[in-house]
Amino acid sequence: MVRLVIRRVGLAIPTLIGVSMIVFILMTVVPGSPEAGLVPEDATPAERQAVRNQLGLDDPLPVRYFHWAVDALQGDLGRSQQRRREVTDLLVQAWGNTFVLALVSAVFGIALGLLLGYIAGTRRGKLLDRVISVVSLAGLSIPSFFLAIILLALFAGGLKWFPSGGASFDDPVTAVRSLVLPVLSGSLITMAITARVTRAGIVDVFGADFVETLRAKGLTEFEVRRHVMRNAISPVLTTSGVQIGALLGGSVLVETIFRWPGMGLLLYNAISSRDLVVVQGATLVIALTFVIINLLVDLLQAGIDPRVRGAVA
Amino acid sequence: MSDTTTAPDLVAPSDQPSGKTGPTLPERPLMELLDVSKEFQVRSDGKPAKLSAVNRVSLRVMEGQTLGIVGESGCGKSTLARVIVGLHPATSGEMLFDNQQIPTRGRRPREVVEQMQMVFQDPSSALNPRATIGESIAFPLQVQKKSKKEIAARVKQVIADVGLPANYADNYPHQLSGGQRQRVNIARALALQPKLVVLDEAVSALDKSIQAQVLNLLTDLQQEYGLTYVFISHDLNVVEYISDEVAVMYLGQVMERASADQLYEKPLHPYTQLLLSSIPSLDPAESTRDTPLEQNEGEIPSPINPPSGCRFRTRCPHAMAICAREVPRLADQGDDHVVACHLYPGSSSEDAEAA
Amino acid sequence: MSQAVIPVLLPQGFGSEVSSAERQAAAEQRDAWNAVDQSVETQSFWVGTGKRFLRNKTGVVAAAIVLLLAAASVLAPVLTPYDPLLGEPTDRLQNLGSSGHLLGTDEQGRDMLARVLYGGRLSLAAGFIPTVGAAIIGTVIGVTSGMLRGVVGTVLMRFMDMLYAFPAILLAIAVGSSLGPGLSNTIIAVTIVFIPPVARVAEQATRRVVVQEFIEAAHLSGASRWRIARTQILPNVLNDIIVYASGLVGVAMIIAASLSFLGLGSPPPAPEWGYMLNSLRGSLNTTPLVTIVPGFFIFLTSVAFNMASDALREAMDSRL
Repeated sequence: MVRLVIRRVGLAIPTLIGVSMIVFILMTVVPGSPEAGLVPEDATPAERQAVRNQLGLDDPLPVRYFHWAVDALQGDLGRSQQRRREVTDLLVQAWGNTFVLALVSAVFGIALGLLLGYIAGTRRGKLLDRVISVVSLAGLSIPSFFLAIILLALFAGGLKWFPSGGASFDDPVTAVRSLVLPVLSGSLITMAITARVTRAGIVDVFGADFVETLRAKGLTEFEVRRHVMRNAISPVLTTSGVQIGALLGGSVLVETIFRWPGMGLLLYNAISSRDLVVVQGATLVIALTFVIINLLVDLLQAGIDPRVRGAVA
Repeated sequence: MSDTTTAPDLVAPSDQPSGKTGPTLPERPLMELLDVSKEFQVRSDGKPAKLSAVNRVSLRVMEGQTLGIVGESGCGKSTLARVIVGLHPATSGEMLFDNQQIPTRGRRPREVVEQMQMVFQDPSSALNPRATIGESIAFPLQVQKKSKKEIAARVKQVIADVGLPANYADNYPHQLSGGQRQRVNIARALALQPKLVVLDEAVSALDKSIQAQVLNLLTDLQQEYGLTYVFISHDLNVVEYISDEVAVMYLGQVMERASADQLYEKPLHPYTQLLLSSIPSLDPAESTRDTPLEQNEGEIPSPINPPSGCRFRTRCPHAMAICAREVPRLADQGDDHVVACHLYPGSSSEDAEAA
Repeated sequence: MSQAVIPVLLPQGFGSEVSSAERQAAAEQRDAWNAVDQSVETQSFWVGTGKRFLRNKTGVVAAAIVLLLAAASVLAPVLTPYDPLLGEPTDRLQNLGSSGHLLGTDEQGRDMLARVLYGGRLSLAAGFIPTVGAAIIGTVIGVTSGMLRGVVGTVLMRFMDMLYAFPAILLAIAVGSSLGPGLSNTIIAVTIVFIPPVARVAEQATRRVVVQEFIEAAHLSGASRWRIARTQILPNVLNDIIVYASGLVGVAMIIAASLSFLGLGSPPPAPEWGYMLNSLRGSLNTTPLVTIVPGFFIFLTSVAFNMASDALREAMDSRL
């Protein structure tokens, strides 16, 4: 088992490096000259060139990447000219907020999805199953930002049950109230997909021979179902990793609508104002978070499901 | 071809189709393997290792006849089959076909490709599920750039030869039964008019009654077209029915080779005796005897680390000291019955020197 | 083994001493076996799939909706007299069902119905083109890597994994921001996002197919690897890819809508649904129904595509 952990972690490192390289390349491909913001309008070409040299803009690409990566590892992701702050500062603040939102959304979506999927799977073909299936299909077709807008209009604007934006953690009640709508917007897709995967898994497992064996051995229906769940859960874990990624990525949209001060909102504002350093930094951090979470989910899955362990290690 | 002894009665045998004579062929080997070996590079326990699948095999098959190769799974017979037809490059050794040396590695000349074909084991995976029967059969002809007319005529001919209705050409494999699919495999193998057909467990996946049909088809075709077969199987009865000569393989080596009659009546090698004694008999008068098989609790050794000397010595009730030291050579015991075993004269180097 | 000198040439012809009449007789004798060995009615795979698809009611309804929307957006000039790009500021934010404006007007007085219909073209394009593009490119990459399996294959798939390590939307946003706004850039971004998953599906399917015996048989015929890839592997892999890709169209549309929501799509005043959703956000409290119109259409199209692709997957899932 320890070997497996080491192996997976080892595999994750090139992925992390690759991700950082892709982010770097994407941001350097951007048309426009980064030194433009630092140099006054009437500067001479020589002065411009001096600034370019200072920023190392004409160095070969791998060299630039190397410098950038080394800086990043030390926590220096550059400085936003527009906001006059270190990018790392901005991110550190925002990361916690996004993490809270994503985590709560993930837990809520997956838990509810498991429940609904279980109900649907065990009542296959009956009314409840069909209803849940249709709702799931609809649920994963709604873009999160659309749902956010509807919820906002309905509950914050119309009924005024919940605040229309912002995150406040002053006291538990307000914290929860400010979380509700964003979490609902983000988690619906997760819930729908989890429900579908769970249902499929349960239907598969119930059909398997070993269920009959368990029953023949005299286990109660409840215990049988527990066994079924344990087997069906593995594919759910697989999709969970992807779902969390979708939540992290989708945070850009949800946070924008609810003015939740997380990395998503940061990214949105940076894109709108073409503040590329921030875009680069935020994208990098979100992507790296996703890789690490996937790794953890992988390890968790290997820990629970011996079949996965055998296949890879 | 033999149809006697302990072979269970096969349905509707017809090993002498009504008075037909095939082309008269001279007695000569069509294909010869000389000291052919095949090793694979594998990982065992995380370390690179060599798997000796085929080890210094020398065999020949006479034109117009059937050479049966028999052995348990893992003895390397399937690998050998693929080395013969060129799907795997041999690690060492030489091969003669039609008295000419052909490359055991790399591309073979077109004529050789056309002359040597193979019928595969699994009727389902041996046919492209997305192609009609006609298309599958036509494919080798298309690759060899035959004209459209030629292809159409040949496909039609060969479908009729295997006894399928002509309109089946537009069917897909999943619409045919297992036996019919295997006949399509045979048809495809015959499309290019090969002289040599290698059959790797060609009937093993079929029901017993269908096996009989297909075997009879094969013998008929052999008569009509003067085909030469290398028939590989783990099923001793089937091999006996269809083969003129039989070779016994164990862990990549040939242990014994003789005419089918001789092998089954007078097996010399301990391994052959072991195999033959474990055939269940349908004759109620014959109970399954106590076989050396039960007495021998040894595991089948792995081809990655085969035993030194004679590879069978770990399971052999007659193992001697010399068996661990020296690899026994194939030695003729008379009547072209060769054995590789230290129990018999000629197999060890001392005997060879003395001879 | 005899080493006697033997003429190399074998008798000419292939079994020519047997007369064709005798061969015919033998063939007929074997024909009788087919009475024992029954086979099934001929039916082309696609015909069967089509029939099964039509039996699935939700699938048919969904497909009909998709076709309807596509037709409506193509026929937009016929269906509405308004110009989607021009509006009367005095007419702004009329509600649904107000005179002359079935779906109201937006914050610049442009007719919503017109904008939705013309915008449909952009959305459908942003849904289909990346999917088809990624399907083609991803298949090529996946099949190549599945067949070659050596260094080239591993390198390709590693690279795909790197891209795969990004959440889809994030990658789209990153590519979109670096390329800049515009519909073609959006299409490129979404295509890039979809290539790795398609390549992965193609590669796995290829690996499954490549070990089958009929591939060995094809090698035995002397076919080149290119020919085998084209005629043997591709038709067997296409199924999986089509099923997977059909589910991507809806996702592509949503990602494209998200990008235009963030301002990375076509520049205004293009009637992109996602952009419209964002620009109408401000008037959420005054005319909520108008505000959600573009979102509703995104939802509707996406649901229809998802349902149709689900039905297609089930219809294609015969025992082939």
